[in-house]
Amino acid sequence: MKIVVPVKQVAALDDEFELLDDGSGVDPDFLELDLNEWDAFSLEAALQLREATGDGEVVVVTVGDDDADEALRGCLARGADRALRIWDESLDGADPLAVARVLAAGVERERPDLVLCGVQSSDAVNGATGVALAGYLQMPHVAVVKQLDFDVAQSAATVKRELEGGLVEVLRVRTPALLTIQTGINEPRYANLRAIKQAREKPLEVSSPGELGLDADLVAAAAGSRRRELKHPERGEGAEMIDGSPSEVAARIVEIVRERMSG
Amino acid sequence: MPRDPKYDILFEPIQLGPKTLKNRFYQVPHCIGAGSEKPGMQAYHRGMKAEGGWGACCTEYCSIHPESDDTSRVSARIWDEGDVRNLAAMCDRLHQFGALAGIELWYGGPHAPCMETRATPRGPSQIASDFELNIFPRYMDQDDIDTVQQMYVDAAIRAREAGFDIIYVYGAHAYLPFQFLSPFYNRRTDKYGGSFENRARFWRESLEKVREAVGDDCAIASRFAVDHLLGPISIQVGEDGARFVEYCDDLVDLWDFTVGDIAEWGQNAGPSRFFEENHEKPYTGQIKAGNHTNKPVVGVGRITNPDTMVAIISSGQFDIIGAARPSISDPFLPQKIDEGRLDDIRECIGCNQCISRWEIGGPPMVCTQNATAGEEYRRGWHPEKFHPAANREKSVLVVGAGPAGMECAMVLGKREMSAVHLVDASKEIGGCVNWISQLGHSDGKDNLFRGSARGLGEWKRIVNYRQIQLDKLSNVEVHPGSRLSAAEVLEYGAEIVIIATGCHFATDGMNAATHTPIEGADTSLDWQLTPDEVVGETKRVGQRVLVLENEGYFMGASVAQKLAGEGHAVTLVTQAAEIAHYMDYTLEAPMLHRDLERLGVGIHTYTMLEKIEPGVCHGYDVWNPAHKEQFEVDTVVLCTARISDDALYRELKADKGRLEAEGIEGLYVIGDASAPRMIVDSIFDGHRLAREIDSPHPEMPLPFIRERRLWGDSTNEDFRAQLLNTVDVV
Repeated sequence: MKIVVPVKQVAALDDEFELLDDGSGVDPDFLELDLNEWDAFSLEAALQLREATGDGEVVVVTVGDDDADEALRGCLARGADRALRIWDESLDGADPLAVARVLAAGVERERPDLVLCGVQSSDAVNGATGVALAGYLQMPHVAVVKQLDFDVAQSAATVKRELEGGLVEVLRVRTPALLTIQTGINEPRYANLRAIKQAREKPLEVSSPGELGLDADLVAAAAGSRRRELKHPERGEGAEMIDGSPSEVAARIVEIVRERMSG
Repeated sequence: MPRDPKYDILFEPIQLGPKTLKNRFYQVPHCIGAGSEKPGMQAYHRGMKAEGGWGACCTEYCSIHPESDDTSRVSARIWDEGDVRNLAAMCDRLHQFGALAGIELWYGGPHAPCMETRATPRGPSQIASDFELNIFPRYMDQDDIDTVQQMYVDAAIRAREAGFDIIYVYGAHAYLPFQFLSPFYNRRTDKYGGSFENRARFWRESLEKVREAVGDDCAIASRFAVDHLLGPISIQVGEDGARFVEYCDDLVDLWDFTVGDIAEWGQNAGPSRFFEENHEKPYTGQIKAGNHTNKPVVGVGRITNPDTMVAIISSGQFDIIGAARPSISDPFLPQKIDEGRLDDIRECIGCNQCISRWEIGGPPMVCTQNATAGEEYRRGWHPEKFHPAANREKSVLVVGAGPAGMECAMVLGKREMSAVHLVDASKEIGGCVNWISQLGHSDGKDNLFRGSARGLGEWKRIVNYRQIQLDKLSNVEVHPGSRLSAAEVLEYGAEIVIIATGCHFATDGMNAATHTPIEGADTSLDWQLTPDEVVGETKRVGQRVLVLENEGYFMGASVAQKLAGEGHAVTLVTQAAEIAHYMDYTLEAPMLHRDLERLGVGIHTYTMLEKIEPGVCHGYDVWNPAHKEQFEVDTVVLCTARISDDALYRELKADKGRLEAEGIEGLYVIGDASAPRMIVDSIFDGHRLAREIDSPHPEMPLPFIRERRLWGDSTNEDFRAQLLNTVDVV
C-alpha cells in the first residue's frame, strides 16, 4: 500500500514579533520553523498503516523552499520512505488552492492508495488544502478524522469523525481516498538519533511544477486569493477611560449602564 | 530585547555618602565558605555577581580581631596585612566590573567561640551565648570598650587599604553592638546599660569612631535587626528599633535592615516552605514608612521577581534591593532584567542549601539552582558562559529527566553538542521534584510564630527554569513519555549515553540505622506506603499514620506535615536524636517544629521499629532495646533507604562489546541512579559531567584548585598547574 502524506513546514511566532514594513508578512527573524503539528499525526497514521499491512511505502510531499527540507528530513527520520519537495519561486505566497493544485500534480504521479493530510496548518489555519487537493484528485475524502481502521482485504477504511454535541459520524470509504487527520488520533513517535542520521541518506527529491507537467498559468488560475496585507487590528473606538476616585468611577459606570439599558 | 521601561527605576544610580551605587542591586553580606583564606573563591564568586550587574557586593561577616573567631564556621577576617592582601583581590575584581565592594566588620562577643584562636570574647554582660554551647563572654569595662572600639577603627583602616568602598559596623544577628543595645543581653548599670541612650552608646560611639577614621573616603553602613522578634524583652521595631535608626541616622550613609538574631536566623534567611518573597516587610518596611531615616535603605526577603523589586522601590519600602540567596542562585539577575530576558532568570527556591554548608562549618557554599556557585574560581565555571565541547560533533542520549538529567542535558546543549536527546519514562520531565514539590503541606495556615505553611511548591522552580532553557536549545530534543529498554538505548544511535534514572525507596524497611530490613515492612501492601505514594494517592491513607524517618532530612517531616495538615493523626518516629536533623543546617527546623506542634504530630526520637503488623508497629528505645513501645496505627509510611534505579546502566555496562559495536563511546551514570543524594548534589553531578564531557575520563572529576599553603612556598604559582587543568577558566 502506498500512502502519500502532504506536509507543511509552518512558522511559529516568537512571544514578541514584528511585521515586515511592506505588510507582506511577519519578519522572518521572529519565526521559528517546524513541522505542522497536525502533520505529525497524519504521518504517524500512515506509518502505523504501513506497519500493520506489513509492506508499502510512505511518501511525504511538500510545497516549499529549501527551508522545508528540515521538516521533510524529520519525517524521513520518523520513518517515511521518500520525500518530494516541489518548489518554484512563483509559488511564494501561494494560497491553499494553488498549493493544492501543485500537490495534486505530485500526488497523481505517485498514484497512492491513500492520501493523509493534516486537518489544517497551525500558521495559516485555512483548513482548505486537504479538501481542495481531494477535489483536484477527484478522490473521495473525509475531513477531520478522529479514528481510522483500515481493512486491507476490502481496500476500504472505516473512519470516525467527531461532530458537534459529541456526535460521532462513522463512514466507510474505499481507496483511493483522501483523509484529513485530526490531532489526538494517535501518539506520534519521535526519531532516535540513529534514525535522524539515517534519514540524511534517504531520497529527498526536489521538483518543480514545470517538471511535473504543470503549467504556471494553471497554478495561477487555481489561486483563489492573495494576501494583500498582514497587520495588527486597529484599535477600536468607543472605549471611555474613567478617571476619578473609586466612588466617582462607580457612579459613572452606573450612569453608563442605565443609559444603555434605557437605550 | 531591550529592558522594559517599567524596570528603569531599578537601574537608577544612588549616592551612598562619598560613593555612587550604579543601580539598585546590592549583594548584602553573606557567607560562602571563602573568608580571607580562600581569596580566589572570594574574589571570583563576588566578581561573578559584579559581572552579572550587581551594583555592590559585600564580604561575609568579617572578623575585626582574633578574639572574634567563629571557627569552624568560616568568616572573613581582616586582622593583618595578609588579610588586606587577600581581600584586596575581591575588591579589585569587583572594581573591574564597576561594582562597589563592601565589608561587614564583625565582633561576635559570646556568639564567637574562638575555637581556633583560643581567645576570650568580650561582651556587655556575662551571659552565655544562646547560639553557642557554653560560651561566656568577659564583662567589658571601660578599657575593654575602648579596646574593642579601637579594633573596629583599625579594621576599618585596613579595609580602606584593601580597597573597600562600603564599611559596615555590623550589629544585626545579635552580634556585639546589638548585644549592647538589647536588654536581652545587656544587664549593665553603667553608662552603657539601662536607658535607650545608654544601651545605644556603644554602637553610636563605634560608628562615630569608624566614621571619623574612614568616613571621608568610604561609605559607612550599619546592618541592624529592626526587630529581634522576641517581644518586649528585646528590640521591637515600633519601640527601640525605629528609635535607634533615628538616633544614629546622622552617622551612616546606608542602612541595611534585617530581623531576628543568629540563634534563629531562619527568620531572616526565611526558607520558602514557610516564608514568601519580601517576608520581612512588616518589620523592615516600617522604618521608611514611618519616616525614621533620611538615608538610603537596603533590605532583603528572597526577592527574585522584578515586579516586586519595582513595587518595593516605588512604594518607598526600600531604596535598594538587597539579596543574598537570589544573587547566589542567579549572579546575572540584574543583567537579565536589563536585557529583557526575564525567562532566563534562575530563581532561588528557598531550600537554604547554601546556608547549610556554613552551618555545618567548613565546606564551601553550594546552590541547588546554580551548580556553579562556589566553583567560579576552583573549577573555573561560569554560570552563563559555556565553552563549546572539544567533542561537540558527538550526539548524546540522556535517559531520565530528573534534576541530574535535566541539568546535564541543558549544559551539554549549551556546550553545543551536535545533538542531545533527553528521554524520560514519565509524561512530564522533572523526576522526583514533581512529587517532592507537593510535600510539606500547604494549607497556608499561620505558623505558631510567624510565616505560614507554604509547602515545597517553590522547589518546582528547579524544573521550570530547566524546561525553559531546554526549549530554547535547538540542539536538544526532550522526549517525555518514553521508557527505553537497554536494546533501545543500544540502537538509539548516540555516541555518548548518560543514565540518570533516579532511585526508589526501599520497600522492606531497609535503613541506615540498622542496615537491615524491618520485619513485616512491605510497601506492596495497601496500608504501607513509600513517600512518593503519599503524593500519588494510589493508596488510601488511614486515620492513624506512623511515619518512620531514618533519612535525617526533609522527607519524613514533610510527609508528616502533609498528612497531619489533611487531618490524619500522625506519629513521627526516628532513631536519631531529633527529626530532620539536616534541617537545623537549612534553618528550617525551628519553624518546622512549631508547625508539627501546631498540627499535633507526635514525635518519638531515639526510637526504631523492629516489627510492623497490621494495626500495630513495635518500637524500641535505641539506647535500651528492652524498652519497647507499641504504636497502634492504620497506615505506615516508610521514609527509609533509597536505592538507585541502575538496572539499565548495569545491563548496558555488562556488554562492552555490544556498546562498542553500536558505536557507544561513553556510558555514564549520574545523580540518584549513581547513588541517592540530595537534589543539590544531583544537579551538581549532572552539571559536572557535562562540563567535563570532553575531558580524558569524564567519569572522573578533574582536579580543582585547592587554595592551600604549600610547604616552603606560597606564591600564586603554586596553583598554576591545577588551574590549567580546569575546563572553563574564566
